Amino acid sequence: MSLRVVKAGLQTTLQSAPFRGYRHIGVPAAGAADSLSLALANRLVGNRSSDVALEIALSGAKFSSDAPAVIALTGAHCDFQINDEVHSHHRSFLISDTDEISIGPALKGCRSYLAVSGHVAVEAVMGTRSTYQPAALGGFHGRALEDEDILPLKQLHNENYSEQSTPVQFVPSITNNMMVRVTAGPEFHRLNQEAQASLFQTSWNVDQRMSRMGLMLNGKVLKTVDSVPMQSSAVFPGVIQCPPSGIPFLLGPDAQTTGGYPRIAQVIKADRHLIGQLRPGSKVQLIKTTPEQAATIYRKKLKLLAPWLGNGQLW
Amino acid sequence: MALANKQIHICDDWLTVDCSDLETIYGLCDQMRKHDCWIEVVGGLRSVAVQFDPLLLTPNEAQALFERELASIAPTSKRESSEVQLPVCYHPDFGPDQHLVADRVGIKPGDIAHWHSALKFTVTMLGFMPGFGYLQTEDTIPEIGRLLQPRQSVAAGSIGIIGHQSCVYSFDSPGGWPVIARTPAKLFDANSQAPAMLSAGQTVRFVAIDKNEFEELI
Repeated sequence: MSLRVVKAGLQTTLQSAPFRGYRHIGVPAAGAADSLSLALANRLVGNRSSDVALEIALSGAKFSSDAPAVIALTGAHCDFQINDEVHSHHRSFLISDTDEISIGPALKGCRSYLAVSGHVAVEAVMGTRSTYQPAALGGFHGRALEDEDILPLKQLHNENYSEQSTPVQFVPSITNNMMVRVTAGPEFHRLNQEAQASLFQTSWNVDQRMSRMGLMLNGKVLKTVDSVPMQSSAVFPGVIQCPPSGIPFLLGPDAQTTGGYPRIAQVIKADRHLIGQLRPGSKVQLIKTTPEQAATIYRKKLKLLAPWLGNGQLW
Repeated sequence: MALANKQIHICDDWLTVDCSDLETIYGLCDQMRKHDCWIEVVGGLRSVAVQFDPLLLTPNEAQALFERELASIAPTSKRESSEVQLPVCYHPDFGPDQHLVADRVGIKPGDIAHWHSALKFTVTMLGFMPGFGYLQTEDTIPEIGRLLQPRQSVAAGSIGIIGHQSCVYSFDSPGGWPVIARTPAKLFDANSQAPAMLSAGQTVRFVAIDKNEFEELI
């Protein structure tokens, strides 16, 4: 039983939970850029929330299955068709071996998640089935999917299939105008007074150059109080760095494990899944919060999601 | 402990403390790795960061736990550092920047192997790519600096050097450090129990091999 990639698109990768506990040997987190959309897609097809699914970035993609399978699509707003018939996001479908699944380019947001019941049967590497392309780690041969790839699927029994849809209160709003909460980073104080204020007053614009490693935020050039070079130190997904250019850089799931630029802010864990839906031209407003508030927000968010997603986690 | 006034900064799921020297960083990392509550323990060149799960620990609790841990650390007894011998081939095919480096250092390009393999390096940290090693030496080396134009692709195993700092590329990747040699050693193997060959604090010595030996080892 397998899923055939008819049209792979710009960057379609297998993503699941992040690598965990390997940052000190230089292994980035990787994993689904929008962990909430991954969990919601998996929920609809009866998988565990962090099971591996297809992450489809910006452009569209096409697939077919050689056997009946249950699928669901979440994430970015885009056209979604099964055999030229328009279908809804956040709903599961039983497809047959003659059906073709067609996902259009992202119209709002950046990444779609296509989950298949029983998930794609690739080997876990260092604890996850996620793909980290620069080191060809995990996923499907460590790379983005290509046309005509055949993805093995776990055999499953669809006899008891009943259609599922995400209850409306759990459907995240996907927008190109986001509010993202941050805490101050260790080098926030290296921004001058004006830059400290600008960070939260500017409506930031996501640059054309963006990837799973990170994205540039245009809007204002931030000045630091000194230009003393910084010694390399740990960075994490969601860190906002301020390189000498003064153009802030927001780190994504594939970001390196260490960096040498001031870490001026950190997107809070509860909001980190939003980074996965930022696209060129998206507007971002940063909102300052404290670490304690941020942890409370995270706990509340998981509690709100629990009736539908169970005890899943976000990253 | 040579901790610079215990400068701790906390975010919602990680915290970092400034450290004044590498020995302290290695010791602190070892200590923190004994505890399951730290998901990641990452040493930098002047700091140590730990990541935690805010479902299990609030930031305040994490900070208290971390400070307690800091206080309990005995004054550093010299840490046992292992030594790794890295075979490297100094054939000019593998060292496109030998002339530049020789020029800066003030030796003949033909003497690169002799000069470099006599130096003793320590792994300061891993980063940039899985298994990619940052090294430094106590020996005096003139400033070499980075290439004016970084390369789109540097071969895995390449040895870069910018002065007293050196690096070992674990994968083909872009890079801007002058390259003088290449090791056939596999620096990262995801299927191995310990995926990275190098680890922070290790002593590294480069052992010169010829091109035939290189081909046999790769």
